[in-house]
Amino acid sequence: MSQSNPRGQSTSTLARTHKWLAQSLTQENQISAYFEPLIQMVAPGWSTDGTRSKVIQVRSETADVYTLVIRPGKSWKGFKAGQHLQISAEQNGTRQTRFFSVSSSPAYFKRTGLIEMSIRVQQDGKVTPWLREAFASGGICLLSEAQGDFTMPSTNKPVLMVAGGSGITPFRSMLNQMAATGDSRPVHLLFYVRDEANALFREEFEAIAAQHSNIKVTYMNGAEVGPFSSEHLKTHCPEFMEHKIMICGPTPMIQLVRDVVSSEGVANDDIMFEYFGAAPIELDRSNVKDSYVSFERGGVSAFSNADKPESLLELAESQGLKPQFGCRIGVCHQCKCTKKSGVVYNTLTGQYSDTGEEEVQLCVTVAVNDVVLDI
Amino acid sequence: MTTTHIPSTETLESFRQEIDQIRDETMAKVGQEDANHIRKIVRIQRAMEMGGRLVMIAGFYHWIWWVVGVVMLGLAKIINNMEIGHNVMHGQYDFMNDPHLNSRDFDWDGICDGESWRRTHNFEHHTYTNIIGKDRDFGYDTMRLSDDVKWKNHYRWQPLRMLILTLMFEWAVAYHELFGERIFVGKRRPEGKLPISHAQLIKDFFAKIRKGVFRDYLFYPAIVGLFLGWPMFGAIVLGNFFANMIRNMWASTIIFCGHFTEDVHTFSEEECENESRGQFYYRQILGSSNLEGSKLLHIMSGHLSRQVEHHLFPDMPSYRYNEVAEKVRNVCRKHNIPYNTGTLWGQYSTVVYRVFKYSKPPKKQDGFANA
Repeated sequence: MSQSNPRGQSTSTLARTHKWLAQSLTQENQISAYFEPLIQMVAPGWSTDGTRSKVIQVRSETADVYTLVIRPGKSWKGFKAGQHLQISAEQNGTRQTRFFSVSSSPAYFKRTGLIEMSIRVQQDGKVTPWLREAFASGGICLLSEAQGDFTMPSTNKPVLMVAGGSGITPFRSMLNQMAATGDSRPVHLLFYVRDEANALFREEFEAIAAQHSNIKVTYMNGAEVGPFSSEHLKTHCPEFMEHKIMICGPTPMIQLVRDVVSSEGVANDDIMFEYFGAAPIELDRSNVKDSYVSFERGGVSAFSNADKPESLLELAESQGLKPQFGCRIGVCHQCKCTKKSGVVYNTLTGQYSDTGEEEVQLCVTVAVNDVVLDI
Repeated sequence: MTTTHIPSTETLESFRQEIDQIRDETMAKVGQEDANHIRKIVRIQRAMEMGGRLVMIAGFYHWIWWVVGVVMLGLAKIINNMEIGHNVMHGQYDFMNDPHLNSRDFDWDGICDGESWRRTHNFEHHTYTNIIGKDRDFGYDTMRLSDDVKWKNHYRWQPLRMLILTLMFEWAVAYHELFGERIFVGKRRPEGKLPISHAQLIKDFFAKIRKGVFRDYLFYPAIVGLFLGWPMFGAIVLGNFFANMIRNMWASTIIFCGHFTEDVHTFSEEECENESRGQFYYRQILGSSNLEGSKLLHIMSGHLSRQVEHHLFPDMPSYRYNEVAEKVRNVCRKHNIPYNTGTLWGQYSTVVYRVFKYSKPPKKQDGFANA
């Protein structure tokens, strides 16, 4: 998983002094935040928390997948193949924030200064259909630094990549990077697509495979061969026990592939995966009771159903509260708030909390018993 | 008066529906325009603050620049507190999802800790508006503005208290919550009523004071003094003091006009038990008063000139209050509900009248009437 690293907080004396001084002089936590509205007059969209970047082009890949071609601002630090980042843009006065993997390679970025993000339009989604239209003739967005450790393993072990649908994006970055750098380790990509019309990047991958004997790409047409199974595994990659297995795709698919390869005896250390969207809420039912979540500042409470738990963020919103939020998948920490009491379960880390006061990420936390939150 | 006439259930229900409809229609429109408005105001505030601090230094060449700088800084502080601070901290601009205009994290220029204010103002004052004994903003615990508050001899001096409150408003707001807990004077209330401990409350109180005092009375004066000599240190200290004073006088004036005008009603706790939504709206309208004036007045008052609308819809972006005011007024007229509005000086003179009126003992105790 890519989101497991605890937030490294800089508490050096210098940082503390800056924060105190900024709060005293500007009431902001950083001096630059005070100047942000003025800088925006010269550079619209500029912000203290992100790199101002230009969307150059929107390219259609299939009927419902498009690629944003972006020129990151100069201060952007670059990325490793497979990493994701947060893109923010303003929609009718509201800053919308989403995470996507970079689908182009670091080598391409080095050569052209451009990165690409390939995005599937979510039906009824608020942001993904809008982004395509809003940036049709270019525009300004904010990029976070790249993050995540779903990257090529440091060992030289052969790799089996299993991708589903738009989960192909980190692998596109990795394969292009391998081709550009002459990485010679054997890699086999099994790419599950809904049907022929959704076979993303086909020409591109076939060209790479044709030029590099160590790279093999197999398109799996879901309509014909069905979902991933141990037969597929044994047929297409008989020596899978020697491989690192990397999985990226929709949540049910990741769970299926993990179950299959685990039961075939692959060690957990050799399985890497990355969710697209929120990690599933998997609760140990015996420990969960229906519970009340009270929102102290808002003065309201909500009922949390043990059979169909909702995240604390969703519960808060259902009560008409508007806590700050960002990614809604547990990455950006913007929705962090203080839990005053009660036990919660983090769906991302699989950890149960203590009963005492602590910071929780609302969007990936569900109530285990009665919880009091400082919102 | 606590004996407020309450309209029939049917009237209140129809009133509620129409007020809710105004809210829903308006909230559906909130978006880019509102975001642009608050950003523009923030830019103006920044320009005024930096400009004011710089121009004040030019007082080194001629004193007139010092005066201009003080006024600019005073105006910047007013905008920071009122149109930006008050409204952002109400969550009016949370829809923007902007980390610097977010109700949870925003803090303002001044001595009052934002968290403390959020607790006393957003919760206490806006929930229990003008309920005697519950809403401590009504008279700020120091003034008697209704016969429902028992007369005591010390209320004779309340016009003087009003003057002190006007000049030291930010300190009063900062101390408000601690006063309620009787932290430094009187018998301290038991812990546990507040979401934070008394120790934390005191710590936050002094932390914010240190930041404010450092900024206005040490940091900026010292920088200027270092280059232009120590008399300029004194000039900047004095300038910042007067800028704070301008803010205090204006902010308190506007706020007094919002709830202390002559015709504003008060309520008793019993009256408000099991209050319906319609009755809640009714109380908010009767407990608030508006100011009529130019666009500048509305912005400089943080749209508290639309106090009635603000109390009906505390988290609606202030940018929309003028737009809904006309509609709210029509709904009130239709339901025969009073709608209190007037000019700034008209309303303020009734505040002064009220403060003097209730500084005297109630009429029926004739023995005290001429005291």
